[in-house]
Amino acid sequence: MSATDTQTSDRFVVYWWHIVLVLALVALFSLFYKGLWGDPSALPTVLINTPAPTFDGPDVASGQPVSIAQFQGKVVMINFWASWCLECRLEHANLLALHEQFSRHPDFVMLGVNYQDRLDDARRYLEVYTAPFLNVRDWKGAISIDYGVYGVPETFVIDRQGVIRHKQIGPIIGPAYDQLKNRILPALLDGAAPAVS
Amino acid sequence: MTFDLVELGHFAVILAFMLTVVGIVVPIVGLRTGGAAWIVAGRQAVTLVFALLAIGMGVMIYSYIVRDFSVKYIAATSNSKLPFFYTIAALWGGHEGSLLLWVFILSAFCMTAVWLHWRTQPAIIPYLIMVESALMFGFLALILFLSNPFERLIPAAFDGKDLNPLLQDPAMVMHPPMLYMGYVGFSIPFAFAMASLFSGRLGEEWLKVTQRWTIFAWLCLTIGILMGGYWAYYELGWGGYWGWDPVENASFMPWLVGTAFLHSAMVQEKRKMFKVWNLFLIITTFSLSLIGTFLVRSGVLTSVHTFATDPGRGVYILLFLVVVMTIAFGTLIVRSPKLKSQVQLDSIVSRESAFLFNNLFFLVATLTVFLGTLYPLIVETIGADKVTVGPPYYNTVFMPIALGLIILMGIGPSIAWRKASLENLKKNFLIPLAIGLGCLGASALLGMRSPLALGGVGVVGFAASTIAVDFGKLTAFWAARRQVNVFRGFFTAFGKNHRRWAGLVTHIGVLILIIGVIASTIYQTEKVVPMQVGDQLELQDYTLKFTELRSVTGANWKAQEGVVQVFRGDRFIAELRPQKRIYDVSLTPTTEAAIHTINTGQIFITMTEVMGGQAMIRALVNPLVLWVWGGGIIMGIGVLLNIFRPRRDGA
Repeated sequence: MSATDTQTSDRFVVYWWHIVLVLALVALFSLFYKGLWGDPSALPTVLINTPAPTFDGPDVASGQPVSIAQFQGKVVMINFWASWCLECRLEHANLLALHEQFSRHPDFVMLGVNYQDRLDDARRYLEVYTAPFLNVRDWKGAISIDYGVYGVPETFVIDRQGVIRHKQIGPIIGPAYDQLKNRILPALLDGAAPAVS
Repeated sequence: MTFDLVELGHFAVILAFMLTVVGIVVPIVGLRTGGAAWIVAGRQAVTLVFALLAIGMGVMIYSYIVRDFSVKYIAATSNSKLPFFYTIAALWGGHEGSLLLWVFILSAFCMTAVWLHWRTQPAIIPYLIMVESALMFGFLALILFLSNPFERLIPAAFDGKDLNPLLQDPAMVMHPPMLYMGYVGFSIPFAFAMASLFSGRLGEEWLKVTQRWTIFAWLCLTIGILMGGYWAYYELGWGGYWGWDPVENASFMPWLVGTAFLHSAMVQEKRKMFKVWNLFLIITTFSLSLIGTFLVRSGVLTSVHTFATDPGRGVYILLFLVVVMTIAFGTLIVRSPKLKSQVQLDSIVSRESAFLFNNLFFLVATLTVFLGTLYPLIVETIGADKVTVGPPYYNTVFMPIALGLIILMGIGPSIAWRKASLENLKKNFLIPLAIGLGCLGASALLGMRSPLALGGVGVVGFAASTIAVDFGKLTAFWAARRQVNVFRGFFTAFGKNHRRWAGLVTHIGVLILIIGVIASTIYQTEKVVPMQVGDQLELQDYTLKFTELRSVTGANWKAQEGVVQVFRGDRFIAELRPQKRIYDVSLTPTTEAAIHTINTGQIFITMTEVMGGQAMIRALVNPLVLWVWGGGIIMGIGVLLNIFRPRRDGA
């Protein structure tokens, strides 16, 4: 009897927790592996490759009416911002730099959309930070609803055919800035190469 | 210059990398052939690895001091205007330098452990050298091939991009090294556990030898986490110290399992139970440290902490994780049939079972944090939805478990081993139970309504009085036995029960911390108001007058500074100056909080933005918030008492 006892204790026995542990580890590793290829900060947008919604409204600084229709046939970069938005300030220098670089191209237009802001605040913001481009007032947020804006800042790029080709959620800094500057805008302005969203 | 210092450092690290291979191979040969000289060679290898990595670290620190912007990593994290104090800390302000620090600490611990236990643990040492060398190999490969801090920038940058301003903070200088010492510290008991699994010496020895290492690692991790919270509290400007962010959770999970291990190790030491369990816990603790590194460094999860991420690194770290965890858990599975504990649980009412529940609660707590952290990833992997899991989830799920743990903290140290008699229960718990219920009732009568706060007061009252009863009983016992007064009795009892006393001091710290957490989370008052100079604001009993808005300039930043005078009735209390800073080089804005302490609570003011003459003022009253850090300090004292207790039992 004692001989068989020694034998069984030497033989490998599968306990229930062995199976649980192995399964848990496999699940965990595959989850991590799959997770590596996703971009956690990417938000889905259904608007990519659909015609850009049209809109019009008064310019923040001058009060003159502005309509997106007047920029038909051009590449339009639309930036949603607000004076109360801190991240907008972070990206502002980059917006100016992009404008500086691409405004030499006749087909490039940058357009701001001032999202749910008091007019005084928005004007003061533009005085302090300056903006050599038009800014449409979206006091009630109607334009932003059409564009499915989650929160400011968000930026859209529309191609010559009036189709939304790119959406950036959050400030245009770091890789987002490089991507716009080096790939998306040059591709849309100078070539037919499709830009990736 | 004919002699390039940076290349010397780089070369030293490459040599160290090659020596880790020696550290892996030599002990195996030694074990096969039985030649002691091979093991000595292994010891020399790990010693040299440490020396070489010290050279690498030294070179990096020196290059930071002389601001050598021809080094890509330094150009990315430092700047000519960065204050000297932060130029060294900037080394761990980014991915590459953090890893170098990680592996340097690992090599230091490895060498210390090998020399410390060389005489007493000759059978374990070869395995220790092998396991630690393998870990160093893995991290050095990552450093050299995928994130090399010695990489040059050609042509050299004229000036650096500057360290992230949020990291330019004294607490941030010490926070990463403390965390890494915690993570890496757990690698020593892990290596001992693996050694005992590989060698088949499956007794209690590895636990006794590593008890101090474990508690030291635990202390470092605790300090690291608390420092991170402290940094978040006054630097991030949202008035809280813990946001259940993935990166915070990544450090909290090894802490939870490490704490479970700390407790269940005692059961195995005393009663030879939970053998497989303890091995499982230490492997899990160390694995979670690695998983934390993976989550933080691979960009799998979004977090308020922005780290540079790179899928290549992610794949590598994952591969490393898979190898380490598969070998560790695999060996545990293979050896488990030999590890049946000889002792069965005698009774459900015993200290063993209190520890068992303690472990269960800690594991469930870890699981809730783990699920909360990974849930967005799981949802994203199976569907396309985006979710974030915020504090409400953790507060509802985690907090009740934490309260359960505090009840167990009261019961565990005082209940009898094996089987507690009714007598024992009455003697130890009747008074605490009454006090706990009394606290709960009194708070309810005084108008406390939050169930969490009421529960908290009750369990803290209970646990605190069990500790008091315990101290009292031991003191009375020794006073009677030695025929001395209570004070002398107290100290005699302390001398006779060093480890128990130390543990109780740590528990007192935990209770104080919990009181601070409950008060400052549930009874925080907050107001956010746009204010102009001359405006005033009522917050609880305080009047806040906004008297001035001015511009100030610091060493590498400019700021708008608000001056807020705090009054209580007519009595002037303090002048607070919150700032809105813009750092010169990176143009990053930061919000500097102004804090004034009243009793043990704090008034906390930030200016979230300034527009013209108007400032958005956010003012908070955080009652008892200092108890959080105070409790942390007492926990630390308890652990130090434990580590430096006189050695009596040879452990």
